[in-house]
Amino acid sequence: MSTIRSFDNRLVIASFSYVDDLLKAIDFLKSKGIDFKVYTPCPVPEIQESVENGWSGVRVFTFLGAVLGLVAGFALAILTSLDWPLRTSAKEIVSIPGFVVVGYELTILLGGLATLFGLFVLAKVPVIFRPVGYREEFSSDRFGLVFKCLDEEVKFFLGRLRDCNAEDIEVRDSF
Amino acid sequence: MASTDSKLTYALVDKLVLDTLKPPTQGWYVLFSIILLLLGLGVFCWTYQILNGIGMSGKSNPVNWGVYITTFVFWVGIAHSGTLISAVLYLFRAKFRMPIYRIAEAMTVFAVLTAGLFPIIHLGRPWTFYWLLPYPNQMQLWPNFRSPLLWDVFAVSTYLTISSVFFFVGLIPDIAAARDKAQSKFRKILYSVASLGWRGDAEKWKHYSSAYLLFAAFATPLVVSVHSVVSWDFAVSVIPGWHATIFPPYFVAGAIFSGVAMVLTLIIPLRAVYRLHPLVKNEHFDAMSKLIIVTSCIVGYAYITEFYIAWWSNNKFERYQFWFRPFGELAVNFWIMFVCNVILPQFLWIKSLRTNIPFLFILSILINVGMWFERYNIILQSLYRDYLPSAWGHYNFSWLELGILAGSFGWFGMWMLLFIKFFPSFAITEIKEILPAPTRSGGNSEHH
Repeated sequence: MSTIRSFDNRLVIASFSYVDDLLKAIDFLKSKGIDFKVYTPCPVPEIQESVENGWSGVRVFTFLGAVLGLVAGFALAILTSLDWPLRTSAKEIVSIPGFVVVGYELTILLGGLATLFGLFVLAKVPVIFRPVGYREEFSSDRFGLVFKCLDEEVKFFLGRLRDCNAEDIEVRDSF
Repeated sequence: MASTDSKLTYALVDKLVLDTLKPPTQGWYVLFSIILLLLGLGVFCWTYQILNGIGMSGKSNPVNWGVYITTFVFWVGIAHSGTLISAVLYLFRAKFRMPIYRIAEAMTVFAVLTAGLFPIIHLGRPWTFYWLLPYPNQMQLWPNFRSPLLWDVFAVSTYLTISSVFFFVGLIPDIAAARDKAQSKFRKILYSVASLGWRGDAEKWKHYSSAYLLFAAFATPLVVSVHSVVSWDFAVSVIPGWHATIFPPYFVAGAIFSGVAMVLTLIIPLRAVYRLHPLVKNEHFDAMSKLIIVTSCIVGYAYITEFYIAWWSNNKFERYQFWFRPFGELAVNFWIMFVCNVILPQFLWIKSLRTNIPFLFILSILINVGMWFERYNIILQSLYRDYLPSAWGHYNFSWLELGILAGSFGWFGMWMLLFIKFFPSFAITEIKEILPAPTRSGGNSEHH
């Protein structure tokens, strides 16, 4: 994505009814090097490819959590069995086949919890304050485009957004 | 492209689903009152049992597992298909799951919550249930990790945790949609907190989609493992009728069978009350019916295989056990199970019956009656007649156990009714995902 222009002082919010209109607007903003945020009611592959085409780092959290769970599961079963050596049915004190269940379950448990943690970290949730520029219709049936620009650029961008059939365009101070 | 009606739009999906959150009607209050009465009966019976001792139940030597463990296995089984529908069918991109999976997931979480109570109710001293957990204690001992009962603790608690997380993560964007449409201040605050302030921008969706896929991948092995581990409670012992290697697949198939039937029991009245016919269509019932036929055939095959194994083993105890089941003093339980689980579902080979809603509703209830009796059969019949005739015994369930069984339906129903009234019981985001994206050049052009 483009670099952030730190002196931009106007915030432009536009909503779109159609994905193809939004994609045109996105292409235009990308060509101008403008940083922007796109809100959609659900993940739309065309938009995701256009805006966020990298891979998510959530899987790294998942992998680390799963490995930790596997090690913790076997360690728990083995070390506690050695600490309280109770021989049952002539089985070995450290009976690996029986401990596979514990290792397996903790792999899934910690892998899942680490995935949740990864989602929270990377997607930055919980969000305490309402993001500037968000409208309630963006979770329903409208697509939102929010970006910053300079005061003198506003007229130019408004014209281009209207060319892309943007609706309810709003301009406000970005601070 | 989509399995749902092409006339569905994003706005209509919102309207249909969020309309279910409107203030409760009189009918809802009446149903909720009945449910609370059932729950109250269960609480009364359990309290009575705690005060007077476990001897108040019908359990005695040698039948030490009765209605409680039967009901535990029953509810774990019900929970099972929720994960199948939400996770496994998600990985296979089966679109028919979209309108039904939220109810299935809710059913999973609430059924595991219900199931988890029963091993505790079953204990003579329920306040010591935490001894099963491995924690450093003043007795300086650790639980036996070679015991399937301990595997159960890990399997069921992992299942409850992961299915709850999966359920909650799926709900986040839908609760956010409900928040943005909420009128009352209470609901606005409730949904704002529960949605974690979610606003679906492209970056968030990227991480969300990735996490959701990973959750599905983690939940999928749980579909196989949970009921396999529950089946080992039986199969790892040496009791005739329990000690069989077919138990894990047999239990897993049975669990999916009963769970899909329970989804039907829940979704049929829900669709009728909220007029959700554009979302839940006959093709969805057709698909679920086919799943019922497949799992019924697997379960039926497992029943017959058990008899074959008993005969082939040439073990007189096994042979006697499998003669006793259909012809002994508990034969009626066996035949209820066999008719409900094997015979009746075969009617679904008739195409028109797969979309005959009254028939499906009645059948779904009968299947779950049959599946409860399946577990009752496995537990009771084997414990009635193990090895030595001098050790054979009887079991007469008490009014107390029936009260607690009824209370479990009250507990489960209470959570389901509250969920349906306060949270989106259909997956708004995922239904939108399978609709054609609205484009000016076509697609979902009736978007407005």
